[in-house]
Amino acid sequence: MIGFSRSMLIGAEFVGEETIRFHGILEDHIYAMEIRMDVEVPTGAIRSIQGWMKRYTNPVCPKAVEILQRAVGRSLREEGWISWVNREIGRNGCQHFAEILIECGRCLDSARLADALRGDLERDLRIDLADRARSWVRGDPEASGRCMARPR
Amino acid sequence: MTLRFMRNKLVQVEPLQEGRLSVSWRSEDDLLCAEIRMKVRLPDLEIEAVEGGVSRSVHPECAGASSLLAKVVGVRVGPGLRKIVHGLLGGADGCEELAEGVLECCNAVILNFTLPQIRKTERGTEEEKKERFREMLRFNPRLVRSCVAFADDSPLMQGLDL
Repeated sequence: MIGFSRSMLIGAEFVGEETIRFHGILEDHIYAMEIRMDVEVPTGAIRSIQGWMKRYTNPVCPKAVEILQRAVGRSLREEGWISWVNREIGRNGCQHFAEILIECGRCLDSARLADALRGDLERDLRIDLADRARSWVRGDPEASGRCMARPR
Repeated sequence: MTLRFMRNKLVQVEPLQEGRLSVSWRSEDDLLCAEIRMKVRLPDLEIEAVEGGVSRSVHPECAGASSLLAKVVGVRVGPGLRKIVHGLLGGADGCEELAEGVLECCNAVILNFTLPQIRKTERGTEEEKKERFREMLRFNPRLVRSCVAFADDSPLMQGLDL
């Protein structure tokens, strides 16, 4: 029998050409939380953020909702953004909000790549997706050297 | 407005009879599908076995990531874990997705043990609930100052000298 289970669901919609709206939902045996945030694509800056605590463990937890506002203006592209979120949103607020925010941030470039590949496929179903993905990664200096699929 | 990208993650912990935990993790999105199955030995919380990999990706290189997972066998769920796992699985020749997956498996192991303690705090008067939280903090000092609820000025921390 399962002792503990956690699901995390992230959705990304494009609001205009330059903004991605993320919806992040975390649901597990202990917590249920949600974040919605708008991110500016070129800079990675968080333009707005809202959080909902739907299930939590003690009456102090909801104080973390207002602490989320500290993320407004921060960029998901700047060096050390994950450590910043863990410290300012997590340790000073709620670790689970921080986890959702970080997962949304990690989806930023994936959402851009998925959108670009979908556009390519709409134009020509026969394209070599791997080749297009490789070119896209080569054109993104921030992705370079991050993993075996993004070599220097 | 329709979604242009969606990621779905699931991690589950199943206690086994022979003093082990079985942990399964799966991440699926428009670009990639990755999976990890792990056995964790109790009581020392050592990763005893792990398998998995990236079964679907727009990057063909990801198929080679499964061989990296064996590097975390022998690692214990404990202090310094993030640095150790990223050292073993991350970097230019590594796989960020699987490194995060292993960490999420380990986090789920900790939450599996936290869950019964949280359940104890759900019974009794408000004062009894607070006292059970304080007991939990005395037992798990790593939680102190880990979030707003366990910050120095939190009412849950009153009377605690941790």
